[in-house]
Amino acid sequence: MSNRIDMKGIGKSFFATRALDNVDFSCVSGEVHALVGLNGAGKSTLMKVLGGVYQKDEGVIEHNGKPIEITAPADAAKAGISMIHQELSLINELTVAGNIFLGRELKRGGTPFLDKREMARQVKMQLDRFGLSLDPNKPVRELNSGEKQIVEIIRALMSDSWLIVMDEPTSALSEEDKDRLFEFIARMKAEGIAIIYISHHMPEIFSIAEQVTVMRDGVIVLSERTSDTTEDAVIQSMTGEELEHFVKPHKEIEGDPLLSVQDLCKAGTYDQVSLEVRPGEIVVMTGLRGCGAPELAKAIFGLDGDYQGTVHYKGRPLKPGRGPSVSVRDGMGLVTENRDKNGILPPLSVRDNIALPFLEKTVRAGLIDGGYIDKVVDKAIRDTSTKTSSPDQEIRFLSGGNKQKICFSRWLDEDLELLILLEPTRGIDVHAKADIYRIIEDLAERGVGILILSYEIDEVIMLADRVLTLYQGQSVSEYVYPNFEKDQMLADMAGAGQPH
Amino acid sequence: MTSTAMASSAQNTKKLDGLTLRYLVLIGLIVIASVGFSFANENFYSLTNIGILLRSIAVLFLLSMGMTFVMLTGGIDLSVGSNVAFSGGVGVIALTTTGSAFIGFAAAIFAGMAIGAVNGFFIGRLKLSAFMVTLATFALARGLALVIYDADSINVSNQTFLWLGGVSWGNMPVVIPFVALVFIALSVVLYKTTFGRDVYAAGSNFATAFVLGRRPEKTLVWVYVLSGALAGLSAIITVGRVSSGQPWAGLYLEFDAITAVILGGTSLFGGRGMLLGTILGVLLYGIIINGLVLTGTNPYLQSLIKGMILLGVVLLDTYTQRGKTA
Repeated sequence: MSNRIDMKGIGKSFFATRALDNVDFSCVSGEVHALVGLNGAGKSTLMKVLGGVYQKDEGVIEHNGKPIEITAPADAAKAGISMIHQELSLINELTVAGNIFLGRELKRGGTPFLDKREMARQVKMQLDRFGLSLDPNKPVRELNSGEKQIVEIIRALMSDSWLIVMDEPTSALSEEDKDRLFEFIARMKAEGIAIIYISHHMPEIFSIAEQVTVMRDGVIVLSERTSDTTEDAVIQSMTGEELEHFVKPHKEIEGDPLLSVQDLCKAGTYDQVSLEVRPGEIVVMTGLRGCGAPELAKAIFGLDGDYQGTVHYKGRPLKPGRGPSVSVRDGMGLVTENRDKNGILPPLSVRDNIALPFLEKTVRAGLIDGGYIDKVVDKAIRDTSTKTSSPDQEIRFLSGGNKQKICFSRWLDEDLELLILLEPTRGIDVHAKADIYRIIEDLAERGVGILILSYEIDEVIMLADRVLTLYQGQSVSEYVYPNFEKDQMLADMAGAGQPH
Repeated sequence: MTSTAMASSAQNTKKLDGLTLRYLVLIGLIVIASVGFSFANENFYSLTNIGILLRSIAVLFLLSMGMTFVMLTGGIDLSVGSNVAFSGGVGVIALTTTGSAFIGFAAAIFAGMAIGAVNGFFIGRLKLSAFMVTLATFALARGLALVIYDADSINVSNQTFLWLGGVSWGNMPVVIPFVALVFIALSVVLYKTTFGRDVYAAGSNFATAFVLGRRPEKTLVWVYVLSGALAGLSAIITVGRVSSGQPWAGLYLEFDAITAVILGGTSLFGGRGMLLGTILGVLLYGIIINGLVLTGTNPYLQSLIKGMILLGVVLLDTYTQRGKTA
């Protein structure tokens, strides 16, 4: 049966801010509708209106031509609309089938006892229907993030949803899991499911979506069939201006290595990895998720001392697991891959968030010199073009891109010598990305050695002076600018030609 | 007032702005409560009573300031009330055996810090739950106090030892300017030193503070030691007030301190709050309790009212925090 949702003339304000203004948005079963826009453009607000989390101020929502009221998430569910969240909402202790039937378990004929076999059978049937292989009796804790996402989607489908909203579904997936998700999406389309797909990744959008809608500042600025538009047109309407393409400046790198890692091993994580970073050099490690690079970076930063091999920094051997306080004092900095977990201090101001690593340097006669901090912080905010109403603003009110810039700006201090960046542009929009690339180049220009982990091949090629590909914890090969062969790198990352 | 000057010169003027409304409401409530009680009892406004009131909450000021540091790190210290009895006992016994008031002072403060160090070690270094660890030391310190006092009080007659808690200049107990000095000193520590910034950082996000090269585990240890030291100081004042050491001193003070701190706008979840708020919280709470005594309210009812106040402020804090994080 064919279904459609039409949102017409939707308006929504938060106090003085107009979050949505006269927005029309439709989706039809059997199609993927991509929704794109910079952070704060209104995508999530629109989806929260559709999901019953927020109430619209104006406009109507029609389901198959009939107006419906969605005032609570339960109303959305009744209309067949399901949201798949970035933070997955599964219970680790239950099995796949247990999670899918959570809250509406099947009982054995009239008894209070669960009919686990029947639940597993029904789940298996659904999984087969979409060509997915997953054991319904496996505990969710044993699944990887791609499989968990599948469980969430199956749960939505089994509660009679025909419209699935996915917010950045590939941000935490390996290449393999991405391919499986796209395959799954194609099958769902064939079964008449509609999908709203929120993403920043142009290639993904153009390969799976029929329709693409761009939002900017609460209004729709473009809505076209993907076959009738181009990536550049979409990006341009997202930002409202010609995007300046980031061009890597050419430079000569010489001098003794700042960081030199020899034969680093940690059982089951990385094996015999060696690398060097010289002052002013940008070295990028890349691979698939699970390639061991983040763990390696954390060992270098002193967070994990459980490894064999040696790390030399500024010509001296580093003590394993010496702790970040020693590393920071020694001129190292780290931007973690998970801002919210260990990147920001949510209740504190932008100023306090920036100033924390270099507090000791601001102390005069035992007391903190507030004027000195203000100077450094103002400069850091300017240099990173962070958008904040004032340094007193609490950081949690900033957008993802601006939070990430704060995570960078703390390290702009002149004593920084080595900066380690884990997925520096994860979950941020194209605008903020361009700023981050510029910051990284500026630092390298100043002579800071930079070690990056990135899973995005285009970013790797754009930033790096040197690339190290990793596969299952082993270094595959090294490429030096400008001899970057994208296809060969991708093959390295996927383990092509590696013994299994 | 010095306190506002302190606060605004600090690194978080914005936090004051965010809390300004809260503080204005507290000041308003303090005025309303004082006016209300002065109608109920004409003695309420007498200088003598204000002196009595301030002296009776002097200890609560000190403990609540320590509790503010602890709660800014996201922790809690249930042991402070028992610690007042324990460190008082150690101080009094040191005094009576040596005859030196200063050895008595030092012994009381060191004993308080020792309990704090035990808390800090288990919470900061071994990462145990602050609630459980200080619940244990809450019982432990009370038990030690009963053992060293042999469950009986000890009279103290050394005038130097009794001076801080017992002497008044006219209607002004000397302990009040002392509390003000401690407030200024702790404000400098909290707003103008790296330790103070680390207290906020540890309570905002422990993992981030660690990755940024801070030593949040160390910060926690020192925060509990500070809370213990203030319990030791409080013990000296308590002994001075009643001219004797009591094994059951400080009973329920942890409850009062926690209530006053939350009332003063310090978040239960760490990272948010200021000492000025705690001072206002203690004043309001103290006036209400003192007023209930003066108006002859049934003691059973007093406990009921205390419980309701705590429930009310926790509700308020949790909901305002939820609203902010949504």
